[in-house]
Amino acid sequence: MSITRRNLIVTGAAATAALAAPRIARAQALPRNVRLVIGSSSTGGDTYQNSAIVADALSEHLGINMRVDAVGASEAFRALGRDSRGTTLMMFHDQSYLQQLYGVEGSEDPFAAYTVGQTVAINPGNAYLVAKSSPYQTMEDVLAAAANGERIRVAIQPGGVSEIGFSAMVNAAKVRAPGSEANIVAVNTGDQADKNQAMWDGLADVINGSIQANEQFTQLPDDDQRAMRFVWITARPETLQQAPAEGMGNTTRDDLLRYASPQTSVTLDGSQDFTFDKEFFFLYNSEMDTAIIDQVDAALTEIYAAGAIQERQLGSFFIPNFLNFADAQAHLTAKRDTYAEVIAEIS
Amino acid sequence: MFEFITPLFCLLIVAGTFAGIVFGAIPGLTATMAVAVCLPLTYPLGLENGLALLLGLYVGGISGGLVPAILLGIPGTPSSITTTFDGFPMATAGEGEKALRIGIVSSLVGGLVSLAILFLFAPTLADFAIEFSYVEKFLIIFFALTVMAALSKDLLLGIFSGMLGIFISLIGQYDINNGGNGHIRLVPDGWDYYLDTGFSLLPVLIGLFGLTAILEQAEIGVPKGHSREDLKVGSESTFSFGIFRNQIGNLMRSSCIGTFVGILPGVGGSAASLLAYSNAKSFSRHPETFGKGEPAGIVASEAGNNGLTGGALVPLLSLGIPGDSTTAILIGAFTLQGIQVGPLFIGNNPDTWSAMIVAMLIANIAMFLLMYLAIRHLALVVTVPKHILFPVILMMCVVGAYTINYGIIFDVWTLLIFGLFGWLAVKLRLEVAPFIIGFILGPSAEIYFVKSLESFGDVSIFFTKSWIACVLWLLIIASLAGSLYFSRRAKSETAGE
Repeated sequence: MSITRRNLIVTGAAATAALAAPRIARAQALPRNVRLVIGSSSTGGDTYQNSAIVADALSEHLGINMRVDAVGASEAFRALGRDSRGTTLMMFHDQSYLQQLYGVEGSEDPFAAYTVGQTVAINPGNAYLVAKSSPYQTMEDVLAAAANGERIRVAIQPGGVSEIGFSAMVNAAKVRAPGSEANIVAVNTGDQADKNQAMWDGLADVINGSIQANEQFTQLPDDDQRAMRFVWITARPETLQQAPAEGMGNTTRDDLLRYASPQTSVTLDGSQDFTFDKEFFFLYNSEMDTAIIDQVDAALTEIYAAGAIQERQLGSFFIPNFLNFADAQAHLTAKRDTYAEVIAEIS
Repeated sequence: MFEFITPLFCLLIVAGTFAGIVFGAIPGLTATMAVAVCLPLTYPLGLENGLALLLGLYVGGISGGLVPAILLGIPGTPSSITTTFDGFPMATAGEGEKALRIGIVSSLVGGLVSLAILFLFAPTLADFAIEFSYVEKFLIIFFALTVMAALSKDLLLGIFSGMLGIFISLIGQYDINNGGNGHIRLVPDGWDYYLDTGFSLLPVLIGLFGLTAILEQAEIGVPKGHSREDLKVGSESTFSFGIFRNQIGNLMRSSCIGTFVGILPGVGGSAASLLAYSNAKSFSRHPETFGKGEPAGIVASEAGNNGLTGGALVPLLSLGIPGDSTTAILIGAFTLQGIQVGPLFIGNNPDTWSAMIVAMLIANIAMFLLMYLAIRHLALVVTVPKHILFPVILMMCVVGAYTINYGIIFDVWTLLIFGLFGWLAVKLRLEVAPFIIGFILGPSAEIYFVKSLESFGDVSIFFTKSWIACVLWLLIIASLAGSLYFSRRAKSETAGE
């Protein structure tokens, strides 16, 4: 066969079409390499742990390489905002909108600036603790002390999940004895290490913590300076009921339920208790091709239907909570609106 | 009891150590980054094998930083800054091999001493660590900042340079994750997008040490590389283990300082080598030789930063609180396996605890053997003609800066801005070493100072908080007095000449 100009053109066009075909086919799909940025810079925390479980499952199911990068909230939102190709996705929790509701400088409304997506799990571990040697052994003691004019210092990290429990405490004090809310004051600290240290230094009477990070401290003998005691777990009792019966460490699920509503009451309005579930969910660039969201939706539906991911999540003390894109959007929007009202009411 | 010691376990440690050395040796890549990159691999490997890999990376990454610090004058990691002070002058004088051998032996001793302390005293030291509140941590940082005075050629200009470094380090957000209020300060209008978290440390570091040196060399005309004959390598090397006969006190003291700094969460690895170096200079009979190629300076710096490795694991394994940025990533290996790390960890997980101790031991030995055997070849880097070496270094610096925060081009601009700044600073007689110390320690100093005042409400707390605070004040005063004395002596000697 002779090589003619016509043959060359046809061959070139065929080769171009062959090379382009997979790209066209994949144009609507999740890229081969995906970066899952998270709103925490810690790889030791629940956001990384949960995101790694979901990323592993999606990688295996879709045959892609999804990698979790713990870059922190500010950088994660920025990275997500830069990338509309679907190469960068984000996983975070309720802090993504709470920080905006609390007016943290530089925070945006994620519902407006990004696309909020599927929920995957709840961490039921958000907790408040006191020193074992503290005169306050329960939330009832804490609120009664505030009503009696004692100053209660609560160590929190402002603008997030940690603060909303504090706001609820202030509100409960106000409902119980108007004016006593001024006796519950925030001590702004950094990470969990700072909160623990604030307690050991005698700078805080109550600290925000978690079942996962603080449970071992509750097992220490009473005379140990580091020993702590749970006084409140914010999760809904229905959520905690789904945790494994053996609980976490040496604390069983039944033990944990003693610190949650209704056995431990932090009232919202005198008739119902304040509760808060910390939920993890996807966030997407608002200009990204919605086919990618559909692909993640379908993949997660199949993954959760298979059931293996739930075992791994429960083993790490997460409560599986998959809601598809449409349901999650409705749920999270309603949740945000509810807590916006609560914060407006109690702030 | 030692069932975890399998061929795979040992292989992962050696592979991790080797990869860590490579990460540490490339300016811009760090032990922290090496551990972060490999963290997801640990879930399928299981806890013991996963930890073997990560601990190898940790030890290798911290140690690898000494190679570019000595041979190129660019610290591979922030904790290698003090290694450049004496290592690079030695390499420039053709004694790079000797400097490397001193650094590697010191790294091994530092790592093993801290490992022994970790193994024997972890819970006790953790109890001691929680005695350090914001006040004591601020005083430790303040003590480390006094090194600025010790390193200054001109006391006033050195301190001014250090203060400038602190000022620039405060640009950006008062980090809410560290207890700040999230307020963005010192950022010009329109620059929020780039500077809301301030300038990243590593691009600043690489720019000041790497690019500045290249610009200086370019200004005077690119020199030829060392010829093979100029170098004291192989049988011509003046290294012998007898060098350490007079350094046993320095080695032990520096290793213990590194370990001690490691057990204090939030103080940071750079403070370990800075404090060790400052102490070595204070205890030396010839402090004037420091910064000019003094082997004791390398001993202190490397024993100090490797001493950190065992120390930083103390609060991690006894309190669940990481001691430095790398162990903060390391804790992810436990959480991925769903294992709690806290005060009961060692008692509840004796096998994992033993595996970690054995892995650290093997990693230190592997680090020593891998680096020691490669020294003769590494030392020849300085024979590469500078017109080839400098572009390669520049490319490595740019790639390193770009990858630090996973692809932020502003980090490359930061590298260039601070490279230029370093070049100009020398002309203005500003001093780069105090500047970078101020830049590194500034944010921690701010947080602990403000938190101390917020928590205790009165400046007098810095003097009355505890006996630890009193001891730290004595050390601070001694350090400042020593710096003043040596500065005056140097001035009078110069005047006498």
